Amino acid sequence: MTLHTINKTSALALCEPHLCPEDGIVLLEDGVYLALTLGKPAAAVRSDVEARGLTDRLPADIRLISYDDFVSLACEADKVCSWF
Amino acid sequence: MKLLFIQSKPPHGSVNAQEGLDAVLMGSAFSDCSLLFTGEGVLQLIKSQDPADLGTKDFAKAFGALRDYGVTNICVDAASLERYQLSVKDLAIEVEALASAEAARLIASHDKVLNF
Amino acid sequence: MKFAIVVHGAPYSSEGCLSALRFTEAALAGGHEIVRVFFYHDGVYAANALAEPPQDEVDIVAGWQRLHTEQDVELIACIASCLRRGIIDQTEAERYEKPANNIAAGFLISGLGQLIDAAINADRIMTFGA
Repeated sequence: MTLHTINKTSALALCEPHLCPEDGIVLLEDGVYLALTLGKPAAAVRSDVEARGLTDRLPADIRLISYDDFVSLACEADKVCSWF
Repeated sequence: MKLLFIQSKPPHGSVNAQEGLDAVLMGSAFSDCSLLFTGEGVLQLIKSQDPADLGTKDFAKAFGALRDYGVTNICVDAASLERYQLSVKDLAIEVEALASAEAARLIASHDKVLNF
Repeated sequence: MKFAIVVHGAPYSSEGCLSALRFTEAALAGGHEIVRVFFYHDGVYAANALAEPPQDEVDIVAGWQRLHTEQDVELIACIASCLRRGIIDQTEAERYEKPANNIAAGFLISGLGQLIDAAINADRIMTFGA
């Protein structure tokens, strides 16, 4: 399982075609704006979500994570692929 | 150890594509390396680039060295080529065009990924 | 778990350098090992000793330096990226006859081989793009 990180909205178009069904997604930095419209489960870095005023606007399938959680997700995956 | 280098930036507008290529060439000295061009990264491969007036790197020449460095698994995302109205015939080197799902499996099959 | 951290973005110009710092801090707090932090592309600006951010903003260069002094984290700035962008140590300043050097304490300038070495020896590579 690959963990994909996305740090800006324009990087989704790069990432999405290359996702395997079992892969995970972490949204960070400006990539957290994707949480509003992504339409699939993903993790979003809490500090980035809060900074941008999105905390109360997220769909139920977006999980807010700390950097500690981000580290855990990276450990659980086989590898990490970063899109920017 | 199989490393996959993913190039997603166009050439010349920044030095990032060139520095990404430098990383692949260095990687090939240490490990089994594959290369995937996707998104705007496929634009690095357009043949007949002439950056003489810009003074930036001539990518076509640099890519010619990849096979000499042992990087033989060079792939492009076919959908990205199509987006820019390119075919493999328009590219400076021989590549394998992959459907996006095949490129996903390429990522899954490597031990580690370095993104540029 | 052993992590290699790759930083592409300059501090403040984009958020990646700070995200990388936060991730690295969290990894260390979680008992993981940092093989190396490799600064590439504009990431080498994190090694600029002359940076002086406003007092009420996070000092990203100092944050990296703290990880080096307190937790022995290896901070490597790519020499080719550094030379292009004018981040130099004493050796390079003399070699290229520059009037000064500006590498921040705790950072070392070295080659791309250090990136590949870290990539091979780490369990996970985390790239923080610009």
